[in-house]
Amino acid sequence: MKRMISRRELVFRSPLALAGMVLARPLLSLGADSDFAIPGKDGMIVRSLRFLDLEMPAEYANSFITPVKHFFVRNHMHEPSALDPHEWRLTVSGEVERSLTLTLAELTKMEQHTVINTLECAGNGRAFALPHVPGVQWEKGAIGTARFSGPRLRDVLQRAGVKATGRHVMFRGLDEVPGKVPPFIRSIPMEKASDGETLVALRMNDSPLTKHHGLPARALVPGWIGAASCKWLSEIKVLDKEFEGNFMSPGYRLPNSAVKAGEAVKVEDTHPATALNVKSMITSPRDGASVKSRIVIRGVAWAGEADITKVEASTDAGKTWQAAQLGKEQSQYAWRVWSYSWSAAKPGPYVISCRASDSKGRIQPDSVEWNPSGYLINVIDRVQINVQA
Amino acid sequence: MSRHSLWLATFLYVTFIPLLYGQSAVLPPGPLQSKVKTACLECHDATIIVQQRLGKAAWTKEVDKMIKWGALVEPGDRDALIEYLSTNFPADKEPYKASRTMAKSDQK
Repeated sequence: MKRMISRRELVFRSPLALAGMVLARPLLSLGADSDFAIPGKDGMIVRSLRFLDLEMPAEYANSFITPVKHFFVRNHMHEPSALDPHEWRLTVSGEVERSLTLTLAELTKMEQHTVINTLECAGNGRAFALPHVPGVQWEKGAIGTARFSGPRLRDVLQRAGVKATGRHVMFRGLDEVPGKVPPFIRSIPMEKASDGETLVALRMNDSPLTKHHGLPARALVPGWIGAASCKWLSEIKVLDKEFEGNFMSPGYRLPNSAVKAGEAVKVEDTHPATALNVKSMITSPRDGASVKSRIVIRGVAWAGEADITKVEASTDAGKTWQAAQLGKEQSQYAWRVWSYSWSAAKPGPYVISCRASDSKGRIQPDSVEWNPSGYLINVIDRVQINVQA
Repeated sequence: MSRHSLWLATFLYVTFIPLLYGQSAVLPPGPLQSKVKTACLECHDATIIVQQRLGKAAWTKEVDKMIKWGALVEPGDRDALIEYLSTNFPADKEPYKASRTMAKSDQK
């Protein structure tokens, strides 16, 4: 057990050390421009401090695996203020033959499975919705790809013995709920929960989960919106129907059919957001960059449960498209790195764009497909650059 | 951990956590500024407010949702609060420019 405890966990377990970090880092950084440090995170865009919501700048999405220090953070509520992984327990109950209470040590002894997963917040790109919609104004970087490992949720459920009445699996985390805010509880269908890929994840990029990412355990629902992958997991409950609560309805729902921008949608005309959309983004050059006439345009492309089949790049504001080169690294639920070598015919301003297609026949749209919560926006990415003389 | 160190940790945390949140965005001045602090900042910092760009109807919906979720707003302050938010953070205001946490290169 002790071998699994990282320095960061140690800090989390020690209020003195935690207070020291909280105290020292902002003080040390007060003089540094408008920037300040958050331990374990590096150069992140601050969407909210309390609750902590950090976005990865697009230029950091330049590798198949995203380092934890650059991985986005999405919290709906306060992170648990005290959580000792040794004392932590995971309960499994509901429509099961045997209710279970599992320790971290017991979960660690189960067969461990690894999934490389691109995790994206459903609201990534919300800032591009017009008219604007309320919520965290994520632009491009509420996304990252990591290697998650832990026991399969299927194996955990098999230990408990799911009854024939079990249709959905509910996750509850240890988020600390302020005021009368409804607790962050969501559920996924049994089919997804028992597919052998959905995990009770204990590790991220070969290290124990950090506090911001759900220490000591989180659900990991591959290919689905980030909200499905509940952090600080403490309770799994098998239900005979979808969980009814704010974060299932009205939260995290999409209109059943296209709506006009700004149009209200009745909740009965919506369905839960599940798998991610087809999407891509440019990671280099940066928006506003001044570049030489010969460059390599780089980026990433992903499609949730589907496969990326093609990425195209345009250097004339979307008038013509050329096939980009897909990187060799791939995994079922992970993004593909891509690149496109380009020589500009003449100096001046250019709009470069990228668009992805997937195995479901989907392709990114030219304009935002608006919905009232700004979910799964996957409009073609564009950056403006200047080619030097 | 000893009781002494736990108390010390609690003291440090409570005393200095505002320093961290002091990095948060600043609410514009106005007669409602202090009431927004009471109503909203008990639960979250100002950054999430100042990045919104919403019309009055959308702000009304948000304020009413937050009141339902426990925001302490006197009934007589509700309309003024909505006015303050929709005046300072309207749909057509230029986008909020978010800050960044320190990058490794800055920390050397």
